[in-house]
Amino acid sequence: MTLTLRQAKGAAIAAFLLGGLMAGCTGGGSTPSAPTTTPAPTTGSTPSPTTTASGGTPIIVGLVASENGDLAPWGKDEINGAQLALDDFNAAGGIPGHTVQMEIQDSGSKPEQGKSAAEKLIADGALALVGEVSSGITAQIVTAAQDKQIPVIAVGATRTDLTQGHSNVFRVCYTDAFQGPVMAVFAYNELGLRKVGIVTDEKQPYSKGLSASFRAAFIKLGGQIVDEQFYESGQTQFGGQVTALKSKAPDGLFMSGYFTEVGQIARQAHDAGLVVPMFGGDGWDSQQILQYGGDAIVGSYFCNHYNNKETRKEVQDFLAKWKAKYPDEPEPGTTMGALGYDAMLLTLDALKKDPTLDSKGLTAAIEDTVNFPGVSGNITLKGMHGNPTKRAIVVKLTKDGQIFAKAYEVADVQKALAAAAKK
Amino acid sequence: MSFPIMLFAGLDFPSLPQQLVNGLELGAIYALLALGYTMVYGVLKLINFAHGEVYMLGAYIALFTSWALGFGPGKMAAATNNPFALVVMLIASMVGCAVIGVLIERFAYRPMRNQSRIASLITAIGVSMLLQYGGTIFLPNSPPPNISENVNPYRGSIEIPIVPRNAALKAKELALLKVSDDDEAAFNAYLQRTGEGEFGVSAPGIPLRDAARASDRAYNQAKNAAEATGLVITVETGQAIIFGMAVLLMALLSYIVRFTPAGRAMRAVSLDFDSAALMGIDVNKIVVFTFIIGSSLAGAGAMMTATFLGTPLIPFYGLVPGLKAFVAAVLGGIGNIPGAVLGGILMGVAETLVVWAGYSSYRDAIAFVILIGVLLVRPGGLLGSAKVEKV
Repeated sequence: MTLTLRQAKGAAIAAFLLGGLMAGCTGGGSTPSAPTTTPAPTTGSTPSPTTTASGGTPIIVGLVASENGDLAPWGKDEINGAQLALDDFNAAGGIPGHTVQMEIQDSGSKPEQGKSAAEKLIADGALALVGEVSSGITAQIVTAAQDKQIPVIAVGATRTDLTQGHSNVFRVCYTDAFQGPVMAVFAYNELGLRKVGIVTDEKQPYSKGLSASFRAAFIKLGGQIVDEQFYESGQTQFGGQVTALKSKAPDGLFMSGYFTEVGQIARQAHDAGLVVPMFGGDGWDSQQILQYGGDAIVGSYFCNHYNNKETRKEVQDFLAKWKAKYPDEPEPGTTMGALGYDAMLLTLDALKKDPTLDSKGLTAAIEDTVNFPGVSGNITLKGMHGNPTKRAIVVKLTKDGQIFAKAYEVADVQKALAAAAKK
Repeated sequence: MSFPIMLFAGLDFPSLPQQLVNGLELGAIYALLALGYTMVYGVLKLINFAHGEVYMLGAYIALFTSWALGFGPGKMAAATNNPFALVVMLIASMVGCAVIGVLIERFAYRPMRNQSRIASLITAIGVSMLLQYGGTIFLPNSPPPNISENVNPYRGSIEIPIVPRNAALKAKELALLKVSDDDEAAFNAYLQRTGEGEFGVSAPGIPLRDAARASDRAYNQAKNAAEATGLVITVETGQAIIFGMAVLLMALLSYIVRFTPAGRAMRAVSLDFDSAALMGIDVNKIVVFTFIIGSSLAGAGAMMTATFLGTPLIPFYGLVPGLKAFVAAVLGGIGNIPGAVLGGILMGVAETLVVWAGYSSYRDAIAFVILIGVLLVRPGGLLGSAKVEKV
C-alpha cells in the first residue's frame, strides 16, 4: 500500500510500525547523522563510563514521553503517572541529602525524535531513562542508552525482542509472547471456544507476533484454528475477509490488530451476520474502540495491563491519588498512567537501594527487583532478562468502558497449558 | 494437468456469489470516484489529483453535519430510526464538495490553463498535498473521529435466499437452541445464587459453565450445518444503499451528459476545447459544470462510505481510494464515462476475489497488476481510444 500517515494515525501506537522498521534499519546506517548507531558488540570488555551523582546535587531521572503527535494522549497519561510516582516518593522521604528531579523530553510520537530526546537527557546527566509507551520509540531509546549503559525502563513496549541482548533494558509491562497464551486460555476455558478464526494486521509486527503466540497456545490447549484472514492497517472495507471467515463458521474471532481496524471489522462482521465472541490484545485499549466498533464491539474481551475498576488495594490507592492530583482528567488512572507510575516508582525505589547513585549500580538494583507491588501487578525482574514475571488482565468491553473479567498470573497460564499437554 | 487443480484446491466455491456481491459494492464506490477523474480529464485533459482530497473533505462535511444534528462526541443523540439526518448529510456533502471543486478549479487550475500540461499536473499534485497537510492542522484527526452509527437507521443485513435450507436440519438447529438457552439459564441462575462472577467460577459451577458452553457450541454447529445446505446471499443494508445510490447517481449523470444541452456542450468541449469555444460554447461555464458534477459524486460517495462503514476520518482518508479510482479510470479508458464505471466495478470485484482466493495481503497490489496487464494489451484502456498523449 501507499505510504500514508493514516496507518501511523490510526493505530494509536502505530508508531510501532515505523518504529519496527526503524529499529530494524539502524544497523544498516539509515541514520547517518548519529554516530552512536553503530555500537560495538557488547562484550563488556570496554569499561563503560557511568554517570555519577555527586553528593548534594540533584539526581535527575529522565522521562521520554510523547507530548505531541499521535501518541499524545498516552504520553500525557505516562507523564501524569510518572509525576504522581515522584511526588509519592518524595513525600515518603526521597533520598536523604539529595533532591530527586524528573526531566521530561518530548519524543513527538516519533522514534527518531525519541532517540534525540534520550540523548538530550543523557547529556543532562540523567541516571536512568523511563519510557516509552510504544516499542518503536523505546527501541531508539535503547540505542541511545547503549554507549553509557544507562538503565532504560520501558513503560508500555510489549514487543518481545526489545530487551534481548541488553543487560540495561527493563520493562514494567508483559510481552506479546505472554498475552497471546493468556487470551488462548481465557477463550478455551472461560468462553468455551473450540474453533477460532484469527484476523491479523499484516503490516504490524505486533499483530503478527500476537497472532502466532495465540495460535500456538490455542492449538496446544486442544482448540482448532479454522481460518486466518489478513488485512493491512489503513484498509476500511473488510467484506471479503468477513465472508471468508463466516464460511468457516468459527465459534469466536481473535483479532490481534489495533482498535482502529478492529472496531470496523467488528461492525462489518456483525452487519454481515457473523455474530460470535470477539477478543484481542492490548492494541484494543482505547476509548475510541467503542466509537469505531459501535454496538458490535460491546461484549468483547481483550488482554490489558491494568483495569481501573479492579478492587485491589494498590489500584484503589492509585485512583484516589490520581483523582486528587488530576481532578480535571476525564478518565482517572488509565493504563499508561498506571504503567508510567509503576515504571517511575520502580526506578526510584531501586535508586534508594543503590548506595553508589550511579547508573551502573542503579541497573544492578533494578535487576534485583523482586515482587515490587505495582499498580498493574507485582513485578519481578530478577533473573528475567528485563521481561517481568507479571500478570495480565482480561477485560470486557461494555457501553461504559472496560470492566474487569479475570486476571492471569504467569503460573496460571503455564498450569493451564501443562494440564492440556497431559491430556 | 495438476496445475489448474492445485490452483482451485482450497477455494471456497459456495461463498463465491457472496464475494461477487461484496466486490460489486466495493466497485460502486471506485466507480463514483473514477467518474470525477474521467470527466475532468475528458474536458480539460487534466488529471485532477486533488479529487481524492475532495472525497476526504466530503467525508468531513458529513461528519460536521452529523455533529450539527446532535450526533457529536460527548452528549450524543440516541439511535434514530428516521433517515432525515442521512439525507441532510448527503445533500451537505454533495453541495460542499461541489463548492470545493469549483474553488479548486477557479483558483488553482484556471490560471494555469494556458500553461503547459505539466504545469497543471504539478498544480494538481500541489493542491492535493495542500489539502492533506492543511487538513492535519485544521481538521480534527487525533484521535480520528468517525460518524456515529446512531445516525444510521439502516443497520444489519438483508438475506436473499437462493437455495432453501434443509428443513430437518433447521428443526434440529432450533431444538438445540432451546437446549443451549436452558443451559445458559441454569448457569446464570447459579451465578445469581452464589454471587460469583462469570469468569473464575468455583468448582461446583464449572460443570454448569462447561455444559452451557458445550451446548452453545452444539447449537452453533447445527446452525452452520443447516446454513451450509442452503445458499443465502447476505447484503449489508448500508452497502445495499451505497450500491443503489451509486447506480442512481450514475444513471442521472448518464442522462445529463447524453440528453441535456449542458451535457451536449460538455461532450463538445471534450471533443475539441478550442473549436467548442469558437462555436459559442462558454467553455468556462462547462468546466465549472464538470467540476460541480464530478465533485458532488465524490461527496456522495464519501458521505455514504463514512456513514455506513463508520470509518475513522483523517486528512489522508482520500489518498488510497483516490489512487485506486484513478487506476480504475485509466483501466476503463480515461475520458470515457462508461469506462470509468466498468473500471471501478472490475477493480472492486478483482480485489474481493483476491481475498476470496486467500491472498488478502495482495489485495492492494492487484489493482496495479491489472492496470499494467490491460495497458500492455490496450494502451488506451478497456473502452478508451489508443491515442498517444504527452503529459
